[in-house]
Amino acid sequence: MLRFDRANVMTAIAAAGVLLLLLAGAGIVMYNEVSYKEAKAQQVEAQSRVLASTVTAALAFDDRKAAREYVNALAVDPQIQAVAVYDARGHLFAAYARDGEHALPAATAVSDPRLDGDVLKVTVPVAQGRNTLGSVYLETAIDPISRRLERYAIIALLVSMASLIFVLLGLAQRRLAEANERLRRQGIDLAEANENLLAQIAQRESVEGALRQAQKMEAMGQLTGGIAHDFNNLLQVILGNLELLQRRKLVADDEANRMVASAVRGAERAATLTQRLLAFARRQPLDPRPLDVNKLVQGMSDLLHRSLGEAIRVETVLAGGIWRVAVDANQLENALLNLAVNARDAMAGTGKLTIETANVHLDEPYAQANEVRPGQYVMIAVSDSGSGMTPEVTAKAFEPFFTTKDVGKGSGLGLSQVYGFIKQSEGHAKIYSEPGDGTTVKLYLPRLAGAASGERVAVGAPALPAGREDRRILVVEDDEDVRTHAVTMLKELGYTVLEAADAESALRLFDAHPDVRLLFTDVGLPGGRNGRELADALRRRNPELAVLFTTGYARNAIVHHGRLDPGVDLITKPFTFAALANKVHAMFERCEVTAREAPQP
Amino acid sequence: MRRRCVAFFAALCGMLAPPLAAQAPNVEYAVKATYLYKLAPFVDWPAGTFTGPADPLVICVAGEDEVADLVDEAVKGQSVGSHPIAVVHLAAGATTPCNILYLAERGNARAAMLERFRGMPVLTVTDNAAAAHGIVNFVVQDNRVRFEIDLNAAAANHLTISSKLLNLAARVLPRP
Ligand SMILES: Nc1ncnc2c1ncn2[C@@H]1O[C@H](COP(=O)(O)OP(=O)(O)O)[C@@H](O)[C@H]1O
Ligand SMILES: [Mg+2]
Repeated sequence: MLRFDRANVMTAIAAAGVLLLLLAGAGIVMYNEVSYKEAKAQQVEAQSRVLASTVTAALAFDDRKAAREYVNALAVDPQIQAVAVYDARGHLFAAYARDGEHALPAATAVSDPRLDGDVLKVTVPVAQGRNTLGSVYLETAIDPISRRLERYAIIALLVSMASLIFVLLGLAQRRLAEANERLRRQGIDLAEANENLLAQIAQRESVEGALRQAQKMEAMGQLTGGIAHDFNNLLQVILGNLELLQRRKLVADDEANRMVASAVRGAERAATLTQRLLAFARRQPLDPRPLDVNKLVQGMSDLLHRSLGEAIRVETVLAGGIWRVAVDANQLENALLNLAVNARDAMAGTGKLTIETANVHLDEPYAQANEVRPGQYVMIAVSDSGSGMTPEVTAKAFEPFFTTKDVGKGSGLGLSQVYGFIKQSEGHAKIYSEPGDGTTVKLYLPRLAGAASGERVAVGAPALPAGREDRRILVVEDDEDVRTHAVTMLKELGYTVLEAADAESALRLFDAHPDVRLLFTDVGLPGGRNGRELADALRRRNPELAVLFTTGYARNAIVHHGRLDPGVDLITKPFTFAALANKVHAMFERCEVTAREAPQP
Repeated sequence: MRRRCVAFFAALCGMLAPPLAAQAPNVEYAVKATYLYKLAPFVDWPAGTFTGPADPLVICVAGEDEVADLVDEAVKGQSVGSHPIAVVHLAAGATTPCNILYLAERGNARAAMLERFRGMPVLTVTDNAAAAHGIVNFVVQDNRVRFEIDLNAAAANHLTISSKLLNLAARVLPRP
């Protein structure tokens, strides 16, 4: 705005300058004109007075010849057009006319120089003392206007040159200002583009980082999970046999009994560790139930005090109207206990532990950058006033076996249990820590979908979303017990249910009943096709078919990069009645919303 | 039209100044009589000649001739600058103070008069004198009254003659 004004001001100044120059030029011309005429008048008057004074004797002594000589002498001046001398009676005494046919006044009265066109005329008396001997009349041409204009042309030229310079300067200045403005704008645009680019790069880097981390965790999970699973079975064998030894009193020797008891303790500890590994690998069987995290936290207060000791204060800040979540309460307690133990270790005896709960919404950008689904979550934040972590430690803290503690003190499996459990519960965990400033670990648990007032859940008879007869479900499960269980549950909820034990019969059933809206299938199926392939085949027949997979742990067949395809959902075994009811209901609702939003053919 | 106009003026000029030959002889003498006082503005008398602006300019006339008779008539009503004009006819031998002296005498009498006024601030005027002429001597040329000026005589009488007058002179006798 300001710069724009400056360009305008420059133009105005240039215009004013040109105007001034023109005015000054006109002024000079006018002044010259006036002073030229004045000078000319003075000149012609002087000439006539000279003649008047020289012609006195000629007039006095009536010497026309002498008078004519004087007159002719004056005529040498080429500008003089006519000269006349009159005697006292006004009679012409001597005369000269340049063009020969010049009309001279017969007698003329004395007058000051007067301009008549381009001719200046004057009459002066010829006096001798008090006597007037006659008069002299003189006519002189002044430069014609064209000649005078020629003289002024140089002024006009100068003025126009100066004006031109002014205008050019003004234009140049304006151009410069405009160019500057353009450059400035381009600079701003460039800086903005650069900023955008940097922001995009940073965003992509953080997303890629999160993805890499998730994949790494996934890979570790598979590795540890596989080992832990086998290991667990082996421990089961060891423990079972040790128990048999003890129960059957096969060992009479006290010494030997002590040794067996010790072996049992070791095997049990090993079993605990493998439980944690399974947790990290998200392969521990969970028992998610609707629960109120505030109540759970309050219920842990004794346990926490015992674990942390007297010197550490525990403070809880619990949000009112906290949403319901559906998680495994024992595992959540384990997770919080793990966090509390880490906090105790970090605080070296004294300090403060704060547990906070809140309802939060994870928006799209945060969700994308953190490999979590956006939406509503219940947050539990555990903060301590301990030593904190460096960014390098923070980055690795969730990994199994990562510990900074001495051998025997730390196993590196505490935070990995937290991570695995939260992930298995479709939640999200995040560490905020600064060395010296303490640590906060935030756990996000998804809000229980469709949960009504908490009290009814607390009573134990959750009001579950009912099914509808027009919502037909195809259940495919090779384990007969599980299938019967699921079919009974869904029927009880009010859905129409078809069942199949393998992919082939499922396909046949689907062709006979194309109005099936939801496929509920185990991932692992006997025969040629697994659950995933069955789902693909059916979705080719009906792209809008909703698919709900269920599985013990083999997630990879359905999960890509930690994400499920749209219209595909997953429920892990063992699932509760409520979890299934909510899941199926939510899926139908979602499908109908998308179907309604889709353009009509 | 213009040409005819100029021709008319030329004719008029001719008529207004007719040559003397076409006039009566006393016109020539009348002209000479007026010339006497008309000379005055072109002559510088030595300082102290006139004591005040109202001092008369005295024109003396010595002797008798046609011009002398007309002088009184010619100066009537005239003045030279602020000075009134007085005409004095000199008796023989009288020495009245004069500014201009017209010598009508001839021969030796004129020479004697000239000699008498020699060195005095008097403008001596003679008419058609071949020898023994005054400072100004009237002559007739081309039928017009002209005059000769003797600068030597003027200097002897302490008079300065204006160059304007000298320009009109038919002849100027320079100082030696
Ligand atoms: N509250 C905390 N304050 C500081 N460091 C922590 C905290 N929690 C975890 N850590 C760091 O993360 C590492 C891994 O923790 P964890 O998985 O629980 O294993 P462990 O406690 O057995 O070492 C710890 O060794 C410690 O360095
Ligand atoms: Mg720990």
